[in-house]
Amino acid sequence: MEYIDYYKVLEIKKDAATDDIKKAYRKLARKYHPDLNPNNDEANKKFQQINEANEVLSDPEKRKKYDRYGKDWQHADQFDAQQQQRQSQGRTRGAAGGFSGFGGDDFSDFFSSMFGGGGGARSSGSRSPFKGQDYSSELNLNLLDAYTTHKQTLTVNGKQVRITIPAGVENGQKIKLPGYGAPGPNNGPAGDLFISFNISEHPKFKRKGNDIHIQEEVDLYTAILGGEKIIETLNGKVKLTIPAGTQPDTTLRLKGKGFPVYKKENQFGDLYVKWTVKIPTKLSAQQKELFEQLSKL
Amino acid sequence: METYLISVDEFCGHYKVEVSFIKSLEEFGLLKTKSIKKTRFINIEDLTGLERYIRLYKELEINPEGLHAVSHLLNQLEFLQNKIAALNNEISYYKQLH
Repeated sequence: MEYIDYYKVLEIKKDAATDDIKKAYRKLARKYHPDLNPNNDEANKKFQQINEANEVLSDPEKRKKYDRYGKDWQHADQFDAQQQQRQSQGRTRGAAGGFSGFGGDDFSDFFSSMFGGGGGARSSGSRSPFKGQDYSSELNLNLLDAYTTHKQTLTVNGKQVRITIPAGVENGQKIKLPGYGAPGPNNGPAGDLFISFNISEHPKFKRKGNDIHIQEEVDLYTAILGGEKIIETLNGKVKLTIPAGTQPDTTLRLKGKGFPVYKKENQFGDLYVKWTVKIPTKLSAQQKELFEQLSKL
Repeated sequence: METYLISVDEFCGHYKVEVSFIKSLEEFGLLKTKSIKKTRFINIEDLTGLERYIRLYKELEINPEGLHAVSHLLNQLEFLQNKIAALNNEISYYKQLH
């Protein structure tokens, strides 16, 4: 467990006055507040650190304990025993005024071991019945999973949640499931559950927005003379006509054979098929002779 | 689709904010309330955004003028984050090709 320098976290000197601590805290809170830094885990982490630093340094007793034992936090129990003897003098609880609703209760191991879990001394008199904490989770899908609307059961914080995943979700897309987060403090409504999707790449079907791109091989003779080929698409096989004289890298567009458009029923992107012409590498003596004849025509 | 409403007075009592705060948000176009028989209501779907404004107002002491600017910047941020996600997906598509 690592020692945390709370003074450094709040960017203040060791002899900072209570007002300086408050000012430093407010300044950093404005910078790192999760509402101002959506999808920024670094900022959220930093916000928790400054909340924790404020929790300790703005409370005279905690600050005293921290200043005295900081690096030797393991011996803090002895300090507690001494404090209990002096308790008759009464306590003055500093109003830490920590923020609510953003995992402010997620204290570091260092904090928990020194002051006990969860910052119980935090002032709670002014707490409003806010919405519970939002949860976030990641869901891994493959491209074919994302092609159809389907249901999946997730376990979030020990609870089973059955969700419908609409066809056409994008890699990195986030969806919100209202009310599936933590229960709200002081009878507030439950938070939301945010699920972000990681969609793995497919070896054959390459997705670009709602369009799908594939490469198909065509032999030299079919490319020159024309013909037909059955290809696999995301929703079945399709027979394609290859015109005579098809050039390498010619791309064909199959309208509506691409990826479903998110939350738009019966709307699909297109499928692009790029023909790669396979040139024979090992020619038989007869083939070589015929090619030579052709070249002389 | 069914909509759920909460009266402005009830909301303000529950969240311990002044009615004038809600009025200011409305003036800045950050919230729309609905009037039914002389009582103003908030759509429950607006609660998440409204709670965000309350946190910023109470915890960071950002006034409604500031919230208006913050809201505009957060919308821009969201747009850019979505754009980055789309571009990353496009880059990944081209990487697959090479």
